[in-house]
Amino acid sequence: MTFLHYLRIWLTAARYSIMRTLMFRGDFFVWALVELFWMTVNILMVSVIYEHTKSVAGWSKYEMMLLVGTSLLIQRFLMGFFWSSIFEMGRNIRSGNFDFYLAQPGNVMFMATTRKLDPDSLVNSLVALSVVIYSAHQLNLQPSFLAIGCYALLVVAGIVIHYSMLVLCISFAFWFTSAQGIEGSYFTLSEFSRLPREAFKGLANIVFVWALPMVIVSNAPAQTLLHGFQPSLLAWVVGIATGWFALTVFVFNRGLRRYSSASS
Amino acid sequence: MLSLFNKYRAVFLVGLQSNLVYRMNFAVRGFFSFFHLIVVFILWSAAYTGNPEIGGFNFGQTFTYFVALIIVQFMIGAFNEDYQISEEIRNGLINQFLLKPVNYFAYRFSIYASARLVTGLLILIPVIVTYPLLKDYLTLPSDWWRLALGLPALLMSAVIQFGIAYCFGLMSFWFLEIQGLVVLSMALESLLGGQIFPLDLLPDWLFRVSQFLPYYYQMYFPVAIFTGRLSDPSAIMVGLGIQAGWMLIILAIGQFLWRRGLRLHTAVGG
Repeated sequence: MTFLHYLRIWLTAARYSIMRTLMFRGDFFVWALVELFWMTVNILMVSVIYEHTKSVAGWSKYEMMLLVGTSLLIQRFLMGFFWSSIFEMGRNIRSGNFDFYLAQPGNVMFMATTRKLDPDSLVNSLVALSVVIYSAHQLNLQPSFLAIGCYALLVVAGIVIHYSMLVLCISFAFWFTSAQGIEGSYFTLSEFSRLPREAFKGLANIVFVWALPMVIVSNAPAQTLLHGFQPSLLAWVVGIATGWFALTVFVFNRGLRRYSSASS
Repeated sequence: MLSLFNKYRAVFLVGLQSNLVYRMNFAVRGFFSFFHLIVVFILWSAAYTGNPEIGGFNFGQTFTYFVALIIVQFMIGAFNEDYQISEEIRNGLINQFLLKPVNYFAYRFSIYASARLVTGLLILIPVIVTYPLLKDYLTLPSDWWRLALGLPALLMSAVIQFGIAYCFGLMSFWFLEIQGLVVLSMALESLLGGQIFPLDLLPDWLFRVSQFLPYYYQMYFPVAIFTGRLSDPSAIMVGLGIQAGWMLIILAIGQFLWRRGLRLHTAVGG
């Protein structure tokens, strides 16, 4: 019942977003182009590095492409489903417009983070998926259905983790209303997700692979496609997805208590 | 003449103060840059494993390039000048400059110069603090001529940086929303300006094509002179010539857009 209730709310929001996109077609086109271009920049970087070397941390060119493609895929989904809403949440907390969400019929975090869809990112997720498929084809991979299913599940878990990290970053606006640009912290962290796990050594391994989930989020699905289904990897990623999501809900609710609206 | 100087000096000083007030924003950006540097370090040290040289440069030289890039970005990068100009046009704040004997370009450039002076000096603090960690990986060439050629290149890069942002800001006379265009050009700049990878790693013909584009002179050119990726003084002299050409072209485009844009401007609000 509650699930249906939220699904209905979400579908209404989605319909509204798609109508908006149809109104501002030029905007849609420009932003789709922007994202496509940024993805190309990432792919180009891989190509240029592999012009000069055969392997990076044991990953060949197309294995690396598959990793970058997976990372981009997760990011496109995050951008498509949540980014605009979460980004606006930060601004609304600072300006006091966040009041609007408190009065809505549903969980505040859900209402505030799922209000807008970005169809341009969702369109580009197809491009990211093509990069993954193309790389898999170049590598002559024949993944089993189990591996593909597991890949999909890991991508979903990855979206949950990215979502949690992003909402967590923005939730700090409840405490530090003067700090602008904390949204950027997410992008900086997401840069790590395009690196192979084996490249992290020593302290960097502890901090970025074990403590922060960014690296494993993209490495786990890529490794599943490359080397088959690994139950322990799946359990690990689902575990950290649950943990980070719980932490985010906790911090968000703590922040909400501090929210006192603003006068200007 | 003196009063003209005093006018923009006042703008410069106000800009200086407001940038010192918003130092938190700087701290946030500096922090991100540090993380970006970690990504660069991890990626390139993995790429260099088993390869003593990539494109004729060792790891230290490439890492030095990326460190210098960040410092130069804080010294001359135009981050949100386009956005600020766009906002002033859209909400009518620009009207006040039309009634006063203030040149909008000079006004904006004074603010940009003061902002970069603050961030350019502040970035030296984290660099000095992390220097003991970084110094084993840094290799700077010590030729004095690099300073003599690099400094004019840096100054012209600053004008090009600001000029491009100014032009994009002025687009607001025609378009309601320029954010998409700005981000698109940012992507182009970061690729062709050498922020993603040093441009000399491109295939040779592409590298040569990039030398005729303005982006090359926005960031890569001065950084490559300082860090030793460009080493032929006569080729650098030719580069300085092309850079001066682009600088003039971009300034002219800015002037053209300003005149044309004002004809369309309807001075809403104010």
